[in-house]
Amino acid sequence: MKIAFIGQPNAGKSTLFNSIAGYKTVTANFPGQTVHYTVSKVTVANETFEIVDLPGIYSLTAIDKAELESRKFILSGQANVIINVIDASTLSRSLELTLQLAELQVPMVICLNMIDEAKRKGIDINVEKLSNIFGIPVIETIANKGIGLDRIFTSAKEAFYKNLIPKIQYFHKDIEERIHEIEKILPAEFTSKIPKRYTAVKLLEGDTELFKEIDRYPEVLNKINEIREEIKISHGRHTDTVISSERHALTMNIFEEVAKVVEPNKTLREKIDDLLTNKYLGYPLLFFILFGIFFIVFEIGKFIEEPLINKFDSLIQQLPEYVTEDSFMFFILKGLLEGFSGGLGVAIPYLIPFFIGLTILEDIGYLPRMAFLMDTVMHRIGLHGKSILPFIISYGCNVPGVMATRILESPRDRFITAALSVFVPCAARTTIILGLIGAYIGGFAAAGLYIFNLFVIMIIGTIFTKFIPEITPGLIMEIPPLRIPTFKNVFMKTWLRLKDFMIVAWPLLVISSIILSLLEYLNLDLFLNKLFSPIVSWILGLPEQTGITLLFGILRKELSMIMLFQAMDTTNLNTVMTKIQLITFTIFTIFYIPCVGTMGALIREVGTKKTILITALSIAIAIILSIIVRFIFSILYNS
Amino acid sequence: MKTLINIDNGKKVKILKISGGKNIRQHLQCLGIHIGDVVTLKKRSFLGGPVLLEINGYDVALGKGVASKIEVEEVE
Repeated sequence: MKIAFIGQPNAGKSTLFNSIAGYKTVTANFPGQTVHYTVSKVTVANETFEIVDLPGIYSLTAIDKAELESRKFILSGQANVIINVIDASTLSRSLELTLQLAELQVPMVICLNMIDEAKRKGIDINVEKLSNIFGIPVIETIANKGIGLDRIFTSAKEAFYKNLIPKIQYFHKDIEERIHEIEKILPAEFTSKIPKRYTAVKLLEGDTELFKEIDRYPEVLNKINEIREEIKISHGRHTDTVISSERHALTMNIFEEVAKVVEPNKTLREKIDDLLTNKYLGYPLLFFILFGIFFIVFEIGKFIEEPLINKFDSLIQQLPEYVTEDSFMFFILKGLLEGFSGGLGVAIPYLIPFFIGLTILEDIGYLPRMAFLMDTVMHRIGLHGKSILPFIISYGCNVPGVMATRILESPRDRFITAALSVFVPCAARTTIILGLIGAYIGGFAAAGLYIFNLFVIMIIGTIFTKFIPEITPGLIMEIPPLRIPTFKNVFMKTWLRLKDFMIVAWPLLVISSIILSLLEYLNLDLFLNKLFSPIVSWILGLPEQTGITLLFGILRKELSMIMLFQAMDTTNLNTVMTKIQLITFTIFTIFYIPCVGTMGALIREVGTKKTILITALSIAIAIILSIIVRFIFSILYNS
Repeated sequence: MKTLINIDNGKKVKILKISGGKNIRQHLQCLGIHIGDVVTLKKRSFLGGPVLLEINGYDVALGKGVASKIEVEEVE
């Protein structure tokens, strides 16, 4: 049996899914977090269920790319049962989606999630009445506390075996007559798989996707346009507004019938919320929160990394005692140890605290508040507040950052945000900034580099906007209530993100390190370095040996630094490189070329052509910036 | 005609008209914002930036451009 979880963004689908399927999707208190869907198999009482977690959708009218994917899946008819997950605290609005899902005529269960939050808001829902109205099972859950989850499968089975299809809630008679008129003229290919009513209503609403398909039947299209025009004249509003108002009226009626609302007290949460988005205090708070996270990550990281790396360094030093120096085995072991310690030095000290910090911010629901605060600033670079989310995620890793651009509505915004996201220093590049600039020049220089990076991103954004002007109306985004993160969720999400690093990146690091070591053994590294020397030595003014490290950086950015230690044969780089060289090297690695993983994500999100464009642009920017920096610092240090 | 931009913080208003294209209209409808709804303008960000609305018990942020397209009248 295939069960699909469908609901509006931030209704807790992913949390629900994770608690019953084991942790497989990343959840967040931000609308539209699930950007691709996850399928999982669960066996309960000898029965195997295939469950699908879909991106949240406000309505079956798809607004952004993530919503379109959900809709396509639902319409494909693959799901045997739909579980409509509803944030009980926003019941009236959530029911608008439920009404549309009912039109698909698939067995369904309504899952009222976050019942505790609804109670806090003073909403009391009569489950039985709601169940009677739609004629389907209605269950109550609190997903993050694991309450009520056992009833999901039993009610899904009930809906499936008893074929409990939701009752359609009808609009006013005049509209129903119009729907019926369209149903009668629909070509057969539109009615064979999907219920007529759904298609007819969506056509009345002027659905862009369906209109493209119906284009092949000019008479039908003409008739529909005629009906739409008539409704517009008789109601004095656009047809989509009329339908939407009808639905709104229906849900308000249902809501009044099933829910009792008492005025809630102003809670501490709301007072904190008020402060976080305060016109004046919001900004220093934003600064302190972000700065605090980076500071803590840096301090914890340094504290753990040093003893860890020292341990491995001494091990590598002792290596000649066990294996003959300069033998084939020696180079393999040396590469292996260096790669392994490199990964360990990044993952444990820096990634874990960063992921914990990011997860807590996500789960509290701070990110949408940031979007609200930053909207005005983002408009300066031709984007709106929502774009801040991909940027913030990119500080962790560019791959999910680029993928998060799907929450944006227009292709233009998606492209610019994706292009700018790759310039955001991810955790890997952060280790380079901290490991090279922080360690050899100082913490303030490292912080300065971040500000410089932001400044460059803003300039690039401004230039983009000059060429591709802003057309979007701007920010339209739900701000979910503040929530207290659960320990379990923070732990599991951090683990999930870390696992990604450990099973994909770490082995890659070890293998690359061994390859580099072997290249050294075969003296091939010198040849490759010669090949790159025009750029590396002439333009960037770096030691010739760094050429190969930059090549490896394309695989994983942190490889550049780890390989740098390898290539220069020391962990005390300041003895072999000048400060100017360290700065130039760091700036070049921050900007030059997205890593392989990011390029893959870019191809998926914006296409191959634009990915090549972004890559070429990044190389050009890296070279230009490196030359400028090298030039300026040469003057500064020499005078 | 007043739009959401000209409303003081904390005021309750009724939505009269949503101008602008189909996209913005439908997007607002999907979020449960309809003509005739009564909403509270909770706050406004810096430099006349986005506004924060409360509608039927949840919050929605609207950028300046969007807010200027929503015509409203004060109630109470």
